Amino acid sequence: MRYAYFPGCSLSSSGYDYNLSLKYVAKALGIDLAEVKDWVCCGASSAHATSHLLSIALPVLNLSHAEKDGFDKLIAPCLACLSRFKAANVELEHDADLKKKIHEVFDYKYQGKVRVYHPLEVFLEMGIEKIRERIRKKLKGLKVACYYGCALTRPPKVCQFDNVEDPQSMDTIVKALGAETIDWSFKTECCGVSMTLTRSDMVLKLSNDILREAKEAGANAITVACPLCQANLDGRQRQIEEAYKTRYGIPILYFTQLMGLAFGAYPKELGIQKLITSPREVLGSVGLM
Amino acid sequence: MTVVFSKENLKLSKDLQTLTGENVMLCYQCKKCTLGCPSAYAMRMKPHELMRATQFGLAEEIYWSGAIWICLSCETCNTRCPQDINILRVIDGLREMSKESEYYNPYPAIPALHRIFMALVERFGKVYELGLALLINLRMLTPFKDIDMASPMLLKGKLKPLPHFSHGAKELRKVMARIRAMEKDRFA
Repeated sequence: MRYAYFPGCSLSSSGYDYNLSLKYVAKALGIDLAEVKDWVCCGASSAHATSHLLSIALPVLNLSHAEKDGFDKLIAPCLACLSRFKAANVELEHDADLKKKIHEVFDYKYQGKVRVYHPLEVFLEMGIEKIRERIRKKLKGLKVACYYGCALTRPPKVCQFDNVEDPQSMDTIVKALGAETIDWSFKTECCGVSMTLTRSDMVLKLSNDILREAKEAGANAITVACPLCQANLDGRQRQIEEAYKTRYGIPILYFTQLMGLAFGAYPKELGIQKLITSPREVLGSVGLM
Repeated sequence: MTVVFSKENLKLSKDLQTLTGENVMLCYQCKKCTLGCPSAYAMRMKPHELMRATQFGLAEEIYWSGAIWICLSCETCNTRCPQDINILRVIDGLREMSKESEYYNPYPAIPALHRIFMALVERFGKVYELGLALLINLRMLTPFKDIDMASPMLLKGKLKPLPHFSHGAKELRKVMARIRAMEKDRFA
């Protein structure tokens, strides 16, 4: 199966390991990822705070590149990109005025033919059996809290994916890998990433809430599906521990890294050495590292 | 405080409806937005109060509180609103209209971040994370903030010291220029 692939800005720097592990897993499952030609930033949360038209135009610019090259399916692994792309498609479909304006801006008339998916949706659509077939090493002994973040399910009208308040897709995959997933109530809470540079105090509080809940629920690892959540929960974990005088030491892994480990990849192939909070202790205790 | 409904007071909600298509008058103050809001604790005007203030046309109070900039855009309020008001779109509309009220904003660094972000995107076609962090830290007069977070990330190669260029940047600049020309006099 061939998909257009929009890595987004984060996956070439802070989400480097997500890119590595996603490509590994996609290859193992027979998914062909073709990077969108000449892609540019989707505008994330800054574009829609300055101009609505701009926040739609930036995703459309990328979508029309994919459409011109004959793709009708696109994978966006970062949740900020994903939600902007999905919003652009939905709004163009329902708002004739906006569509007219967008067509004024571009020489190429985007037809809205490219459907946008998160890798989770693609993997689940292929069927959980296909994932089970590939497993070389069961992840026995890992207690995983699956953290979905804001934009995977919200707003439901745009995302049309899984249950809004209690999503299960990542749990389904992680369970299939042989790990145990825990029930907890902070699956879709916001980690505050859009404020990470300007109001770090808020980010520390919100991320601390998430880490504390996961720890109290008995998790020894958290999986995420977004490079921004990961950068916050992992990169700021030491700051959070200092600010709230506790110790978590919970590794924050991408769900693709867990899949890769179960598929028998070396940790290095999945960029696991790049994590700031070392997963050595947790993965070592279950014989994975 | 006494608020009188007059043409003047209704102007804000009308302007918002033209800009965003959202009718703030539908709000009946059930407070579901505030109860679910992760950043409500840091807002001086909570989301449901903000909705009330837009109904009354209290633009100055809204901009003074700075609440529109504390919003994280997580969309919990939109999802839970029983009246199906897209509250984030209303807040974005207020942000778009806030240019003239910049003077009132207690958190000027947050819109400044958005401007720096878009300027970097316009220059390179992609976000330059390290440059964005450095520039906003200078803007906030705290140049060494988060150095304890950035240094291990730099050492592990998770932050790139140099920006990436996109070959699509030229086309992007053309699109941004066109949009700027189209929107030049929309709040005149």
